[in-house]
Amino acid sequence: MKRTPQDCPSRLPENTAVKQQQLPACRLQLSATGILSGFFATGVFCLGMGVILILSAKSSMEIEINYTKICASCAKLRENARNFDKECTCSIPFHLTQTMRGNVYMYYKLYGFYQNLHGYLLSRSNSQLLGTDVKDVETCAPFSKSHDGTPIAPCGAIANSLFNDTIILSYKLNSSVHIQVPMLRSGITWWTDKYIKFRNPSSSNLSSAFAGTTKPPSWPKPVYELDENDPGNNGFLNDDFIVWMRTAAFPTFKKLYRRLSRTQHFIEGLPAGNYSFNVSYNFPVTRFQGEKSVVLSTLTWSGGHSLFLGLAYTVTGAMTWLAAFSMMAVHLKLKGKRFSPDDKVKL
Amino acid sequence: MALSVDSSWHRWQWRVRDGLPQSPSEATPLLSPEKGRQTYNLTQQRVVFPNNSVFHQDWENVSRRYSSNRICTTKYTLFTFLPQNLFEQFHRWANLYFLFLVILNWVPSMEVFHREITMLPLAIVLFIIMVKDGVEDLKRHRFDGKINRSKIQIYERKEQSYVQKCWKDVRVGDFIQMQCNEIIPADILLLFSSDPSGICHLETANLDGETNLKQRRVVKGFSQQEIQFEPERFHNTIVCEKPNNHLNKFKGYMEHPDQTRTGFGSESLLLRGCTIRNTEVAVGIVIYAGHETKAMLNNSGPRYKRSKIERRMNINIFFCIGLLFLMCLIGAIGHGLWNGTFREHPPFDVPDADGSFVPLALGGFYMFLTMIILLQVLIPVSLYVSIELVKLGQVWFLHNDLDLYDEETDLAIQCRALNITEDLGQIQYIFSDKTGTLTENKMVFRRCTIMGSEYSHQENAKRLETPKELDSDNEEWTQYRCLTVPARWAHGPATMRSQRGAQPLRRCHSARVPIQGHSRQRSMGRCESSLSPVAFSSSIEKDVTPDKNLLSKVQDAALWLETLSDTTPAKSSVSTTSSIADFFLALTICNSVMVSTTTEPRQRVTEPPSTKALGLSLEKIQQLFQRLKLSSLSQSFSSTAPSDADLGESLPNIPVSDSDERDDTSVCSGDYSTDGGYRSSTWDQGDILRSGSATSLEEVLEAPALGLASPELCYEAESPDEAALVHAAHAYSFTLVSRTPEQVTVRLPQGTCLTFDVLCTLGFDSIRKRMSVVVRHPLTREIVVYTKGADSVIMDLLEDPACMTDTDVEKKVRKIRARTQKHLDLYARDGLRTLCIAKKVVSEEDFRRWASIRCEAEASLDNRDELLMKVAEHLENQLTLLGATGIEDRLQEGVPDTIAALREAGIQLWVLTGDKQETAVNIAYSCRLLDQTDTVYSINTESQETCESILNCALEEVKQFHEVRKPDHKLFGFRLPSQTPPPTSGAAVPDIGLVIDGKTLNAIFQGKLEEKFLELTQYCRSVLCCRSTPLQKSMVVKLVRDKLSVMTLSIGDGANDVSMIQAADIGIGISGQEGMQAVMSSDFAISHFRHLKKLLLVHGHWCYSRLARMVVYYFYKNVCYVNLLFWYQFFCGFSGSTMIDYWQMIFFNLFFTSLPPLVFGILDKDISAETLLALPELYKRGQNSECYNMFTFWISMMDAFYQSLICFFIPYLTYKDSDIDVFTFGTPINTISLATILLHQAMEMKTWTIIHGLVLIGSFLLYFVVSLVYNAACVTCNSPTNPYWVMEGQLADPTFYLVCFLTPVVALLPRYFILSLQGTYGKSLISKAQKIDRLPMDKRDLKIQSWRSRQRPAPVPGEAQPTHHPEPPVSEQGFRASTPKSSRPSKRKYKENWVVHGERCSRDHMRDDPCSGDSSAKLSSGEHLLLGPGRTMASGVYSSGQTDAYRPSNRGSHRRSQSSLTI
Repeated sequence: MKRTPQDCPSRLPENTAVKQQQLPACRLQLSATGILSGFFATGVFCLGMGVILILSAKSSMEIEINYTKICASCAKLRENARNFDKECTCSIPFHLTQTMRGNVYMYYKLYGFYQNLHGYLLSRSNSQLLGTDVKDVETCAPFSKSHDGTPIAPCGAIANSLFNDTIILSYKLNSSVHIQVPMLRSGITWWTDKYIKFRNPSSSNLSSAFAGTTKPPSWPKPVYELDENDPGNNGFLNDDFIVWMRTAAFPTFKKLYRRLSRTQHFIEGLPAGNYSFNVSYNFPVTRFQGEKSVVLSTLTWSGGHSLFLGLAYTVTGAMTWLAAFSMMAVHLKLKGKRFSPDDKVKL
Repeated sequence: MALSVDSSWHRWQWRVRDGLPQSPSEATPLLSPEKGRQTYNLTQQRVVFPNNSVFHQDWENVSRRYSSNRICTTKYTLFTFLPQNLFEQFHRWANLYFLFLVILNWVPSMEVFHREITMLPLAIVLFIIMVKDGVEDLKRHRFDGKINRSKIQIYERKEQSYVQKCWKDVRVGDFIQMQCNEIIPADILLLFSSDPSGICHLETANLDGETNLKQRRVVKGFSQQEIQFEPERFHNTIVCEKPNNHLNKFKGYMEHPDQTRTGFGSESLLLRGCTIRNTEVAVGIVIYAGHETKAMLNNSGPRYKRSKIERRMNINIFFCIGLLFLMCLIGAIGHGLWNGTFREHPPFDVPDADGSFVPLALGGFYMFLTMIILLQVLIPVSLYVSIELVKLGQVWFLHNDLDLYDEETDLAIQCRALNITEDLGQIQYIFSDKTGTLTENKMVFRRCTIMGSEYSHQENAKRLETPKELDSDNEEWTQYRCLTVPARWAHGPATMRSQRGAQPLRRCHSARVPIQGHSRQRSMGRCESSLSPVAFSSSIEKDVTPDKNLLSKVQDAALWLETLSDTTPAKSSVSTTSSIADFFLALTICNSVMVSTTTEPRQRVTEPPSTKALGLSLEKIQQLFQRLKLSSLSQSFSSTAPSDADLGESLPNIPVSDSDERDDTSVCSGDYSTDGGYRSSTWDQGDILRSGSATSLEEVLEAPALGLASPELCYEAESPDEAALVHAAHAYSFTLVSRTPEQVTVRLPQGTCLTFDVLCTLGFDSIRKRMSVVVRHPLTREIVVYTKGADSVIMDLLEDPACMTDTDVEKKVRKIRARTQKHLDLYARDGLRTLCIAKKVVSEEDFRRWASIRCEAEASLDNRDELLMKVAEHLENQLTLLGATGIEDRLQEGVPDTIAALREAGIQLWVLTGDKQETAVNIAYSCRLLDQTDTVYSINTESQETCESILNCALEEVKQFHEVRKPDHKLFGFRLPSQTPPPTSGAAVPDIGLVIDGKTLNAIFQGKLEEKFLELTQYCRSVLCCRSTPLQKSMVVKLVRDKLSVMTLSIGDGANDVSMIQAADIGIGISGQEGMQAVMSSDFAISHFRHLKKLLLVHGHWCYSRLARMVVYYFYKNVCYVNLLFWYQFFCGFSGSTMIDYWQMIFFNLFFTSLPPLVFGILDKDISAETLLALPELYKRGQNSECYNMFTFWISMMDAFYQSLICFFIPYLTYKDSDIDVFTFGTPINTISLATILLHQAMEMKTWTIIHGLVLIGSFLLYFVVSLVYNAACVTCNSPTNPYWVMEGQLADPTFYLVCFLTPVVALLPRYFILSLQGTYGKSLISKAQKIDRLPMDKRDLKIQSWRSRQRPAPVPGEAQPTHHPEPPVSEQGFRASTPKSSRPSKRKYKENWVVHGERCSRDHMRDDPCSGDSSAKLSSGEHLLLGPGRTMASGVYSSGQTDAYRPSNRGSHRRSQSSLTI
């Protein structure tokens, strides 16, 4: 208020576009035709996309076999935790009416298994899995240490509840010859998981690397003996383990188990015929009213067999058209009444 | 030493302990006869010992108990800043909520996020606010420091002299020596003044805004003193009240060493912040210092105002809390139910660290709290920070608006309250002060009528219309103004005031670049007004351009007057010539104006300048004359009046308009050369210097060298009117030269001076409404009574023409009277303040008789005032009318226009003024607050019963009319008082004005008549409260604010407006001449009333619509986003997991979606400024809170729910049953919701600038960049969850794109659809205006024109006649309720209503035209008279065509026409 010479000579605000709020601005000016054609174009796109998606989803094949009921006896056995060391196998025959062409993937699917529970999600130790510190089990409680205080590797609830059914697909070439369908257990993980996020502790051999740790309580074998056939598939680098550790978003989920090795009879995919799954039933699901399935599926560019996206696009396209038509109706009705041609549709 | 300290301490203690039997303040002045021991009660009074050698010990002991003069208005110190600021911040519940969440998250079983992460938002919020507070406090600190370091002369005991020290070193008991123009540093008891009569003049502008000088007296017994005041000889102790905030109440006494006491009161107290004027030196003792001064105690800090939006927001936040509670409850119950479905604990149910499971109920409770943490964003705490930032941005733009910048004072708008900008867009009631707010508080002589002939002063009118253009055209003038400044201030000590004055100097040299879109006017002419130390004497007031006609007559009159001295007085009382002379003499004499010179210090001229002054510079004056002649030849002469500068060039010719002055000059010089008399040459000097002050450059430069800086006469008047009249007389060279109680000296045009003996002065009072001066004419020796007063009063006191002996004379007198009355009506219609001038010659004998009666009356004890008035009436009768004057209280520029615009915007304007009723009404008419066709109810009563009955009558009448006119309105019109008042719209509504005075207000408040009053005011177009005290003003504001629950705005400029400014929702101070008090207490300070238009209509609208829509958007955004997390709970067993990584969630709120709403809130313009100004109706949107109310809130909530459902379930259904993992599912959802939220924002934005585009696209791209980097950078960050390479994986997946395209389309389709329809076919004002806005410029103007014509039924462009009044003005003479047309046949009246209505509409058209502005708005009266009848005819013809169609609905007006209230 009291002016002193030190003050700047004038308080005249600068006359810049910014300060005077006069930046060149455009108001979106869309004519009625512009808006309507926009709506129609969106509608056309959505409808077209919907049709394409539906067609492509139809082209993929998926077979799901729920074996909770079929292997009820095994399930019963597993309900009692004391029977953990008893073997139980179960065979599920099925008929494939059509050849599944292309890459066929085998999934196991769990119903009602909440991998996304908050506590469950956090019950892991990333630094342990990264191999930097095997004994870092801090975040894994209560699955961090065994009763004698040895740290568990891999620690945590996720690892402890590893899906441990073995599913073998066999193909009845004819009535007597059963051949096991060759399946690859590699390449089913994300590349980054296999090569960056999961590392075994560096050591000459695996068992020494995991020395000083113990197996998770519900595991029959320690982590370095997960795959007896392939020594490279052991420890934290076991593909099945890695797949399991990527926690599913929903309580009903499938996880990639094997993929078809396209050799011999199976170069083109799975030929039509009779098959059977031989499941060694280890993973109990009835305790939480869950179910298990095994899924065979081919994939397309747009994902799996799900029709939803295609339908959603189609419906959206239809809705857009509907909106466009109703707008046009209103527009034409009112235009004659009172609007001069220069009236514009906003935004 | 120690001993003496102790003893004095004890003495003091003992005084304190005993106390006084009675409070000394009750018995002041108190001269205690008893010589016993005195006691002081420190709890009730303050004891001040002087800081001199005698009392040093006592002083040391006592003074340290009193606060020092250092002021500290800061809230924090360096050390207390952190804790105190944190403490204060945690008083906001939003921060407490945050803290609660943080603490909650630290409980292990409820830890949703990392503990450290949860603290981040809180820390950020706290930090931002802390920085803001810190900066503000630092500013205050600097300002304090500047004040504290101001210098002042303090008496130093050790050096036995005055030493310059800082203000902060002033202690209670110090002796302070102040020079002229210094600001008083503390509350000081005046002990010495250089004025021989012991008077010190004070300007209290900083305190109460009054610019006239106040007198303070030295404490009794100190007035007769030698040349210097000796502090060492001061042996008294001072006892006075404890510090309090009553500015005009102060009592105390001084105890002499001999135990006698001298009382003193507030008339001896110099208050901090005032300025010493006209007194060379003043010495006083400090009584109160620093924060204990009355000024500081009155300065209560700004109250925290919460804007309407914020209040509504808080309600909605409670809804949000309810929603949060509900969602958490669902979570908790769901969690319990879900857990209950398992017979045993499934493998995915992870137990506690010790392996145990929590019980079901406890688990549910934990889940409840967990969900609070999870869904915390639902309570938009960040909204508070965003709002603060947005408001900062808005304030910044306000500050930078060129249209709100005033060049003369070099002040832009000041926003003192940062948090209520958006309230500017919601104002429903404006309470305005009149003087200084609507008007410039500069009274200007406008025109006069003498003996029935009107002198319209055309040139004067023109000059008044366009002062600025003339100023800027006249370079010489400009330079002069600039250069006189240093000359004038060269002698005064450098005070803040003078620096302020010097400020415009520099500016006038810096060239102004004309700015496109903003017409800048260079105007230095009125820089005078800001720097002139003299009250009421800006150039515009001082300079009156004489009317040519009148001027020549004045010459004759003056000559005639000259002859009086030679010949015997010719008794020709009715002769025009003598009347003109008398008229001007009356103007000059009949007032209480004091004369002073402009030199510093201002000296009052109480007698003609003595020989001493002349002798000083006789030679120099001679030189001056010679120079003057030279300069005349070089044609660089310019007269005082700026408009005459051009004429001045034609000097050699016989003068055209200012011949008088030129004659004058020549006469003077002639006089001088012939050495014609001492006296006259004295005057000549004054005259020359007066005109010299306006003469060419070099002379002015010489002026300081002359040693007597231009002794231009300055007039100090009690009221600006008087000053204006004296200046007017001065323009006709009847110059008031000096005034003492006994004598008045007037200089006549010829240079001769007449000294009138003042026999008696009957001062002005509001009951008599007149003042009279009885003088003895020096030439005729007659005793003459000059009276001036309100026309209503004077007209009744005139001599009866019937008593005239001569019929010719009688006729003439009647004619004169009739014509004068006509002119008076004309003046009043133009909004001029009218005064009648009359004269009476009294015979010696009569006067002697009267004087004796008066003496008796003066001596009487009982009802003295009444008697005096009676006595006055005896003298003031049988007057001879001389003429009348019209004074313009100049409206500020653009006031009528602004008022009209504000009113169109649906704002009710009330004027609350302390001024007289007639003045207020006049101004109301001239600023079109009242229209000539309005029915005006005036209520003036003191009794509550009367008041009630008047209110009832008025109400009934008004209601009756409205029932007929709008039968449906009754349903909700009154029952809900908050409804916008009905009569503001519509065609032929009889606009009702209500005029009420302070006494009536009192009656209303005491008689519990508020409801009725308010009900009546609801029907009124405007309400005027006159003669109201500051307290009443604030009570009215509070009444309206609380009872009607409306948004109120008060605007004022003086200290008397402070309370009302503080009472309103928004207080606006006008930073004008009247000090800073109003500004200090205001929320916004502007420099002109007209700025209000843009401030409210444009900035208010913008701020409101921006902020409101931002708030709604924020709610939407948060609900939309948080609901995604909530929906996920249904798929994760209500366990509180999130599918989005927490860092990404934080980033989402912090970076990706925070900037667009901010930019939107600061920059978006839903409608351009031009359109907003052109269509004030658009303001109603803010008044009705259309952007943000329950409806819009819930609509956006519904939309948020819908959109979040879409955003969640389309991805869910897409990825259902697949092998997708948690974060891979979260990524598309996050992306989709970001796209949706940003696109939603894009749809809200009405204007797109490059900033908008950059921010929106930038935010979107930033999301991808940050997500990609974050998902690629670290493998184990935010362990144990791990979003490594998720984003990259998704970007390689076509499904991701398919989902990301589809979902936003579906989510926004409904909104877009509705917006499209609304935009095209919407009938709301806003969408129409937006449509207009999108047109190119030329088309836009056309559209606006047609819009405006559509709004009103009668667009008659040809009828554009701005100030044509078909009716004579409302005569407010009785000050009773009066309806102007009550006697007329109703049909005719109705027509006129119609006509006026049409005109009003066309007037609006005029306003759109930039060039037609003021010049067309003020036509001179001559044109009025000419145009009047024809216009009426034309409009009558026009309206007759429309009458029939309208009549049926208008029956009510028949009855209304009888409305007149006489109480």
